[in-house]
Amino acid sequence: MTNASPRFPNGTTVAIGAILVALPWVLPSLTLASEILVVATGALSCTLLLGSVGLLSFGQGLYFGLGAYVSAILIRDFGMNASVAALAASVAGCLLAAAAGLLIVRRQGVYFVMLTLAFAQMGFFLALAFPKLTAGENGLGNVPRTTIAFGKFALSSPGLLYAFLALLCFAAFAIVQRIIASPFGSVLNSIRHNDNRSEALGYDVRRFKFAAVTIAGGIAALAGAMNTLMLSFVPLSAVDVETSERLLIASLIGGVGSPLGALVGATVLGAMSDFLSPVWPRWSMIVALLLIVVVLFLRDGLLGLGSVMGRHRKEAPNG
Amino acid sequence: MSTQVFIFGALNGVGIGMIYFILSIGLTMIFGLMQFVNFAHGAFYMVSAYAAFAIAQWTGSVLPALLISPLLAAIFALVSERVLLQRTYNLPHEAQILITFALAILAQETVTMIFGTLGKNVPVPEMFNGVVILGGFVYPSYRLFVVAVAVVVAVVMWLAIERTRLGAMLRAAAENAEMVGLLGFDSRKIFMGAFAFGGALAGLAGALAAPLRGVEPLMGREALAIAFVVVILGGLGSFSGALLAALLIGITQSLMSMIWPGGAHLMIYGVMTMILAFRPTGLMGRS
Amino acid sequence: MRNRREILAAAAVGIAAPALLRRAWAQQDAIEIGSLVSLSGTFANIGEQVDIGSKVAFDYYKTAAGKPLRYVQMDDQGDPGRAVRLTQDAIRDRGIRFFMNCTNSAIALAVAKEVANSGGVYINQAGADEMTGSLCNKNTFRWPVATYSAVNTTVRPFMKQFPDAKKWYTITGQYVFGDSLLKNLKDVLGELGGQHIGNSYHSLSDREYSGFITAAIAAQPDVLCICNFGSQTIDVLRQAVSFGMKRNTKIVVVWSTGLDQFQSLGPDICEGVYFGANYWHGVDTPGNRLLSGVIKEKLKVTPSYLLTAGWACTQATVEALNKAGSTDVPAVIKAFETLSFEGPTGLEKVRAEDHQVLKDYYLLLGKPKAKMRDKDDYVEVLSAEKAFLSPDKTGCKL
Repeated sequence: MTNASPRFPNGTTVAIGAILVALPWVLPSLTLASEILVVATGALSCTLLLGSVGLLSFGQGLYFGLGAYVSAILIRDFGMNASVAALAASVAGCLLAAAAGLLIVRRQGVYFVMLTLAFAQMGFFLALAFPKLTAGENGLGNVPRTTIAFGKFALSSPGLLYAFLALLCFAAFAIVQRIIASPFGSVLNSIRHNDNRSEALGYDVRRFKFAAVTIAGGIAALAGAMNTLMLSFVPLSAVDVETSERLLIASLIGGVGSPLGALVGATVLGAMSDFLSPVWPRWSMIVALLLIVVVLFLRDGLLGLGSVMGRHRKEAPNG
Repeated sequence: MSTQVFIFGALNGVGIGMIYFILSIGLTMIFGLMQFVNFAHGAFYMVSAYAAFAIAQWTGSVLPALLISPLLAAIFALVSERVLLQRTYNLPHEAQILITFALAILAQETVTMIFGTLGKNVPVPEMFNGVVILGGFVYPSYRLFVVAVAVVVAVVMWLAIERTRLGAMLRAAAENAEMVGLLGFDSRKIFMGAFAFGGALAGLAGALAAPLRGVEPLMGREALAIAFVVVILGGLGSFSGALLAALLIGITQSLMSMIWPGGAHLMIYGVMTMILAFRPTGLMGRS
Repeated sequence: MRNRREILAAAAVGIAAPALLRRAWAQQDAIEIGSLVSLSGTFANIGEQVDIGSKVAFDYYKTAAGKPLRYVQMDDQGDPGRAVRLTQDAIRDRGIRFFMNCTNSAIALAVAKEVANSGGVYINQAGADEMTGSLCNKNTFRWPVATYSAVNTTVRPFMKQFPDAKKWYTITGQYVFGDSLLKNLKDVLGELGGQHIGNSYHSLSDREYSGFITAAIAAQPDVLCICNFGSQTIDVLRQAVSFGMKRNTKIVVVWSTGLDQFQSLGPDICEGVYFGANYWHGVDTPGNRLLSGVIKEKLKVTPSYLLTAGWACTQATVEALNKAGSTDVPAVIKAFETLSFEGPTGLEKVRAEDHQVLKDYYLLLGKPKAKMRDKDDYVEVLSAEKAFLSPDKTGCKL
């Protein structure tokens, strides 16, 4: 990728749309396709952080879980429809990420990673500490299948559910693409290349990072809401560290250089876990090996479009 | 609740703290010496605990494992370093985190393949099978032994850091990593040594922990979580900070379990978050 | 459209998918039963055993309602969300209507709802009271007992034997299941004149319990009662024993999985400890003789609770299908509701009001190593009783 901002909409937009349409036809199971959309949207928040600002988050599961719980409670207890619930969940995700962002953008590198991890842990223990709200380890059940909006289009048919999830997913990707293509996006990109130089150019680096963290939190929460719509249920695992890890791995495997990577990564990971796990229970070894290969040799992920790792090398800080 | 109970709680907390210290010291050392974030620390610990289990099965006692397991863990760490980790020295921290994270998954799944998913018991060595009673305070002999080993490790490490060439280098590295290279040390050897030694320390912790808590494939994850809390609280790379933080967490945990156990984890992570946000060098770390 | 999708899928995904589809097309006449087991992930230690137990039972029974049975393994990886997805797929794409097993309550509760929505039948081993309580449904049955039963069938006989052991201290998992155990224990103690002198909560991710145990020792109880489940039970007990609590305190573990836990504790720790369990291989019943014989012959091991739980759900499903004489779901549910069969713990009956299987729960006492007749003879059975909350109190409305 060059330093010139990518345009929007571009070929990638078309590719994302095409994949979203093709997935249910190509995959043997519609629910797998739906799950891929959820993971792709969640992974997109990691891609946004790592690919455009160079921030590695081990804690996007926190916002994913928040979005899942918020949307479930809104639908179940307040009778809201899917669109409103998804929107409200995203807003809640943005707010929480903004609150956390005030603290975490002060730190870089290892400390940033550790902070995201610590926040995610706190989220997990909070969910467990308030079983009245979250139903604890049993999971929050009995979320009714609601309608998309205005009491129309009940999400009871799997086809329609997929279509709605695909729409939300596409919207999230479009927003991220739009952001990357904007002047704001090019500042983020320059921060990723070199914090200090951007600072010297007069940009308030922390404020830009803060904005990116906030947006990423909203996107992860949207993915959580999509998960609730898909399952009609929120397991405690929605907010655990393994969810954070899964989203991160999906984005890395696909490649963080382009939003498309999140979708590719989620698809590969989802297909692997569906096809390999019945054959070999220790299949996550293959995921780990893939991760090593990606980090060491394929810094651009499976997409090969250019990623943060390559340009972040210590020996060429200005590269 | 009586004062005596609180004193017992605090004493027990010191015991937990020393166990946590020995669990964390390898992690902070590797970071201090080479600014390397090792997510595979828990894997070294787990592999060693399983080796202790196998040795206990083989010989009927876990005692030989206290020497052999750390050695095996050191070899494992060294091989990982040569084959895989040294390739990441020129990459950013993020890449090191991801590679060692993947290595930890590989180790966990491999151990599951060999030993199965069910947890296994490692019997406490015959000579430590009992309790020590100190004026109404009951304490398991084996725990006392583990605490004693941890104290010995702490003293030896302190002497090594203060009195030897290696220690001087360690202190220099904690101040300024590039300096070490300028001082004419062979960084390749230092890194290999750091990993071997860090692995051995994790391994010693694993072998000691096996009779305390049994072995199961997920034990490495849990150990890593504890070690990171200790190391961050103490200040990444700081030896005395790790000791102080481990004791602090041990005592807090022991006392909190009498007052408000549900909040213990929440509080520990809350404190860790605050420290990371406002004083990332921890209690004892130098900025 | 379905066929076209499958063909496209086969072309696109290579080897794995066509294999699955071929299986779906073959043998249309067989009864396929979906089995939710976690073979990878955090709960693999449970899922693996349940899976094996069910497979052995399938090999043994082979047919039900005059049709061949086929075992459809569904690896949920310990993730309830994934379990729901796999269940939806199995119902929609393969037309499976019969399901069984689970590795944790969250999975069971979520799958139960899917199965009920699509009109199938599901029997599982969930521990959560909600399964045959507030979240029960018409299509789901549960084999192990509820927390009320576990507490009543262990604590009552224990207190009868030790009327002087009045002061109870509890260490409880601070989650829904642990709290249910604790609440029931307090009720029983209140009724029988026991005294609950203190409780320590630990969280789902605690591993170090010495703080709780020190607090327990300081309270000087007659009885230490452990109210949690899984590997945390093992850890609390191991650490309590290492702190010498067996010397002057009796230890009661209300919810134990039995043999597999004893094996990972070793006989020295188990000796003199009281365990409540859903199953013990040493109990002499026709159903247990049958399954022990088959498992010993096929696997060369002594049946554990987890293996048996996999077996029992299979057996109950087979018996219900045979009784119904068809695979018609309403008929099978009806047959289930009036089912009684020679299960692993003796004659087991399904209760129509809340779909709970009424079966014995055991109070076991750890033997000294010298008295063990073989390597798996860890305990003697002190009592085998049934005690169930009356259906109007479970909160279940079918």
